Amino acid sequence: MITLWHYLAVAAALFGIGLVGFLTRRNLITMFLCAELMLQGVAINFVAFARFHGNLHGQVFVLFLLAVAACEAGVALALILMLYRRGRSLDVSRWQDLRELGVPAAADLESLPVVHAEPDPTLTPAGARPAPVAEEPARV
Amino acid sequence: MTLLAVEPPSAAGQLALAAVLAAGGAFLLLPKPGLRSVAGGVAGLVAGLAVAAAWVATTFGGPVTNYVETALFGLFAAGALGFGVVLVTQRNPARGAIAFAFVILSVCGLFLLLAAPFLMAATVIIYAGAIIVTFLFVLMLSQNDGPSDENDRTREPLLGSLAGFAFVGLILFALGQNHAGAASLPAQAITPSEQAALRAAAAELTAMTEDAFYTTGEPKDRSERVARLERAVEDVLGVSGGLDEGTVRDRSIATRLRAARSDLHAQGVLARVGAARVRAADTFELVAAAARNPARYPPAPARTAAAGLRDDLLLLAGVGELPARNVANLGVLLYADHLLAVELAGTLLLVATIGTVAIAHRRGTAA
Repeated sequence: MITLWHYLAVAAALFGIGLVGFLTRRNLITMFLCAELMLQGVAINFVAFARFHGNLHGQVFVLFLLAVAACEAGVALALILMLYRRGRSLDVSRWQDLRELGVPAAADLESLPVVHAEPDPTLTPAGARPAPVAEEPARV
Repeated sequence: MTLLAVEPPSAAGQLALAAVLAAGGAFLLLPKPGLRSVAGGVAGLVAGLAVAAAWVATTFGGPVTNYVETALFGLFAAGALGFGVVLVTQRNPARGAIAFAFVILSVCGLFLLLAAPFLMAATVIIYAGAIIVTFLFVLMLSQNDGPSDENDRTREPLLGSLAGFAFVGLILFALGQNHAGAASLPAQAITPSEQAALRAAAAELTAMTEDAFYTTGEPKDRSERVARLERAVEDVLGVSGGLDEGTVRDRSIATRLRAARSDLHAQGVLARVGAARVRAADTFELVAAAARNPARYPPAPARTAAAGLRDDLLLLAGVGELPARNVANLGVLLYADHLLAVELAGTLLLVATIGTVAIAHRRGTAA
């Protein structure tokens, strides 16, 4: 039988996965999605408690949580846009000047693998190249 | 000494093993320039999930009574967790957004299993918009030419995974401790077996009100039926209709609830049980009098009282379930109990809109 505890366990795991993503990933958009993942874990908790107490107060709480998540999404995406305009990158480590006093700056020691991009295929030119013609004088 | 005589690991050991396995898997899967192994990472995460699922099944699991519910719960839970891992470990943020859409769908399935259809619909609608906007941002802002710092590097992948999964392990451990302490605490005020007993007693009452004796006054001995009915009601309510005074029935709802729960919901159920008990005593008195001397005590009042008692029992049987009209009851609750919070949420949305415009506004001509 599926009980309240099963739902609480799934919600805790979902929250933890979002937490790992938020702590480790460096792309601002991915970090935003991971924060939303944590909110979903919290929402499952509320709805499960509402179900097993037999009232609807937990569901009402999730409605407010949806409103707060919408506000958060708006402000976060505006901030991402501004940071991109300033730094031309979605990397949060570009903003590590904002770190605490006394914490050493993180440096990327290993270099990224260089991928040789194949140039786009082109057709060999066919036919004779037209001889350059002296520019016609204007007939005006 | 034999190696086979290994004790099964304790709950803490099992959870620590699951956390370490999952953290190792996540470390291998997270994008970074050095060590990255998709097969090893998936194997570690699946092993960690299997150990944790085994712990959940042995700690919280009871007999499987509803196979469809269990299968759907497993499907949606695995979907949410699996696509969550894909979102976290995926290099391409556009694919991450697709994985997030599937996480939302799985969570909506869980909402549906938890009897929250309105929230399911609202979440799908709101997050569909959110995911499309995220897609637009990915298309607008990310450069897709080769590896980049933001997508192919992670901050402290090993320590971050260990911190996150150790957190999950600790929460699960605390849940297990609480569950062990509250094993006798029923999740619902009225358990399914009590619901069945209440419905059976109500059916008995229905049969009694349709009995010809109470409609036409035909004289016939009804003592056997009355005794059976009294036993059925007594079992669930703990009321004694005068048969054997002073017996303590363990199955009565009031005894169990008073011992295990003290919250508002349980108090409401107790009040209902008390009211039903009083009504049952009155009903039995009327029925017995009508059976003894139909000429002096007319059977019609007994019939009315039996019908009322039946309604009480049916309401009591349904008291552990959520109201069927989800949207209507949510609306009543929102606008009757939480009106101030609704207004505050509206204000919050307005402030967030103004803040968003203020943040994203270009000052001057070109940035």
